Amino acid sequence: MAAIKVENVQKSFRVFYDKGRSMKEVVLFRNRRRYENRSVLKDINFSVDKGEAIGIIGENGCGKSTLLKLMTRIIYPDKGRITIEGRVSSLIELGAGFHPDMSGRENIYTNAAIFGLGKKEIDSRLEGIIAFSELEEFIDNPIRTYSSGMYMRLAFSVAINVNADVLLIDEILSVGDANFQEKCHAKLDELKKRGVTIAIVSHDLGTIRNFCDKAIWINNGVVEKYGLPGTVIDQYLEFMSGKRRVQ
Amino acid sequence: MERLKELYEYREMIIGLVKKDLRGRYKGSVLGFLWTFINPLMQLMVFTMVFSVILRSDIEKYYLFLFVALIPWNFFSGCLSGGARAVLNEQSLVTKIYFPREVLPVSYVTSGFINMLYCFIVVFIVVIFSGISIYPPALLCLVPVMIIEYFMALGVALFTSAVTVYLRDFEHIMGVVGMAWQYLTPVMYPTTWVPDRLMPVFNLNPMTHIITAYRDILYYGKVPNMSTLAVSALFAAVILLIGSAVFGRLKIRFAEEM
Repeated sequence: MAAIKVENVQKSFRVFYDKGRSMKEVVLFRNRRRYENRSVLKDINFSVDKGEAIGIIGENGCGKSTLLKLMTRIIYPDKGRITIEGRVSSLIELGAGFHPDMSGRENIYTNAAIFGLGKKEIDSRLEGIIAFSELEEFIDNPIRTYSSGMYMRLAFSVAINVNADVLLIDEILSVGDANFQEKCHAKLDELKKRGVTIAIVSHDLGTIRNFCDKAIWINNGVVEKYGLPGTVIDQYLEFMSGKRRVQ
Repeated sequence: MERLKELYEYREMIIGLVKKDLRGRYKGSVLGFLWTFINPLMQLMVFTMVFSVILRSDIEKYYLFLFVALIPWNFFSGCLSGGARAVLNEQSLVTKIYFPREVLPVSYVTSGFINMLYCFIVVFIVVIFSGISIYPPALLCLVPVMIIEYFMALGVALFTSAVTVYLRDFEHIMGVVGMAWQYLTPVMYPTTWVPDRLMPVFNLNPMTHIITAYRDILYYGKVPNMSTLAVSALFAAVILLIGSAVFGRLKIRFAEEM
């Protein structure tokens, strides 16, 4: 059964040269609001089964992150459809809604509420979240006193502990020190075993090779290659080194 | 229906935003939360002085006549102009993470509504001290009137908050509209002062019925006309439908337009 289904998705952005949003600018300077339609994703199709992990790779600016943003529904496709079953947690921008003056504990509540959790559910997960972040001593201090590593650890712990059915991850497996990263990887393995569907965008091909069941290579707005990570990554590397030679 | 269900799932986020707003409103001020009560009290004192000494009105207890209408009006006009920024102010959330965008105007309006309820504590105290005879069954009618006004304000805030993301001037336009609207609504004068030939226009103003109902209950001490209530409920339903339809269409590009 497909947990994530992406069908014929197209997305283009209007890139404004000089965008005015005031009424004066909208009415008087229509010409000045020129824009170019930059087509980022042309026709994307793939599906991910429940409990599968998929790695999305491609060169800079190929639309990987756009695709992930479409999947979380921060933005919407121009054409096509994306269907996701169950609760989605996105580890794209961590710490949404964090308030520097509030304590770590209060921020857990705010942040988890934005993922759509009720009070009772947060109560029952609070201990687990705090334990995972290893911030027990500091949890009642305002987070403006946190180091950036502590901040990220707290944010990551919430996002990964909200009992999501689908996890979307953008290049952030580099949170904290070596031990914490190890812990994150172990947690992801555990979640995967439990049947959580995971999509990762990353340039860390080693992680994708080891962790993912499938990989997808996006090039020029279409799916260039879809299949086992080893095969897809090898072809991608070959393409990239070919490109280097041309330059 | 789906949208309502999802909104319910995100209730904790709404509660959190409302609490943050109510707490943050007077944050850093010495008197803090007390301002919630001082504000309307000061307003009332000014009215009493101006309208019983300088601008003497024929209307008996004019300060009260004005006060019971102005508090509900302030809530509504706050949602009209202030509500315009409800989505825009949370730019960092909207561009970072998914949540039903309706959460933002809903929490804005809810927090304004709760603030109005606090102000009503002052209203009740003043009404009791002014010696107006309150008719208890009429007081019960306050509940539906408030609920109707809440949904009307919500419809308006959904509309203005969505449009403002695309056209930033809209916020200021709504400021002017709000002022004009106040003078075109019987807030400072009774409906009987309105010339007969203008009455149909006034009846098309949804807030006329709401304000009339508040005044019937708290100033005249009588049960409002059922037809007044029915008409305003109808208006609220229409405004809410339009507001949520517009919001539903415009929210799709919020993150890109910010």
